[in-house]
Amino acid sequence: MSLPALTNSRLESIYSGALRLYPESFRYAHAESMRQTFRDALHDASLPRRQLIPLVLRDFLTSIVKEHFSMLRDTFARPALVFNALVLAGLATVLALALYAIPQQLLRRGADDPQVEMADNLVDQLEQGTAAENAVPAGKIAIAHSLSPFVIAFDDQGHPIASQAALNGQTPTLPKGTLDYVREHGEYRFTWRPGGATRIAAVVQRVHGDHPGFVLAGRSLREEAIRQIVVKQMATLAWIAMLALIFVGTAAFGWYTRPKVA
Amino acid sequence: MAIGTAPAAPLTPAVFAILLSLAEGEKHGYLIMKDARNPQGGGIHMGPGTLYGSIERMMRDGLVEESGVSDDERRRYYRLTSLGHAALAAELSRLDAAVASARSLGLLPHGGQS
Repeated sequence: MSLPALTNSRLESIYSGALRLYPESFRYAHAESMRQTFRDALHDASLPRRQLIPLVLRDFLTSIVKEHFSMLRDTFARPALVFNALVLAGLATVLALALYAIPQQLLRRGADDPQVEMADNLVDQLEQGTAAENAVPAGKIAIAHSLSPFVIAFDDQGHPIASQAALNGQTPTLPKGTLDYVREHGEYRFTWRPGGATRIAAVVQRVHGDHPGFVLAGRSLREEAIRQIVVKQMATLAWIAMLALIFVGTAAFGWYTRPKVA
Repeated sequence: MAIGTAPAAPLTPAVFAILLSLAEGEKHGYLIMKDARNPQGGGIHMGPGTLYGSIERMMRDGLVEESGVSDDERRRYYRLTSLGHAALAAELSRLDAAVASARSLGLLPHGGQS
């Protein structure tokens, strides 16, 4: 069916139907005026139909997108709504960070517990006069691979005198300043990276008495690292779930409190 | 834009054409569309969607208002507010300065119509 074959009333009827695609509030305010304007244009002899129809069609397509975006902005991008959503998203982020940081710290501190006891026992033995070679259990533990806890005894100058730990066949060396810190404070708990990707939960204590020195008790953090990854994944999932809930809740609240048609 | 403050220039072509058309007096939608189509009215070929979308925002911004007078209940007439007059004057002044500048650069003939 060609355009000239359509009667004005038929075109008006098509246009009236198309107006239903505009947002409700816009339609309620302007549909009748738009229909009348279109009717006036159809009856205007100075505006040929071959110009009017493409003009109205193009205008319809562009304005309908614009008005829907405008409706979405009025519904969901109201300042109070966006502000509330941002505050809630900020709280959710802080909560998710706490969900990660608190268990991560507890896991890391808990990883020191066996070493503290081992170091205490070894210090007691050395201070009671037991020779380091006898107090430190025999055998070597490859700390790059093993999960077994180990101990090392040092003399007062910091030279290892008995060691269970081996890294590439050698007794690993402590970071500079570690023993000075222990000499001053009595104990130091830290994450030791003796080489490569190896991470050790280490406890160093001061030995007093006739043969002063130091003891180190350590244990691989490999399993704790896996647990920390799980905690991180769970905190991330909780964060995403909270943000999704805030988004859905904000959208629903925005929709139910949108400017209503009178 | 907050109600009660003139919009920052430049205005969109549709808003300018509507303001210019209503500067003559109260008009209904199709008369505004027709004025806008004329070269003297801005030469803007807008349809009912653009027209009423612009009018909606202009009413919200306080540039135009419904006059409440109508010869037909299906037709609504609109008129400029004082803020609308101010916005149109500001835009015309801006355009006038631009045209003067174009003339001084020899881009437009002196004293004639562009």
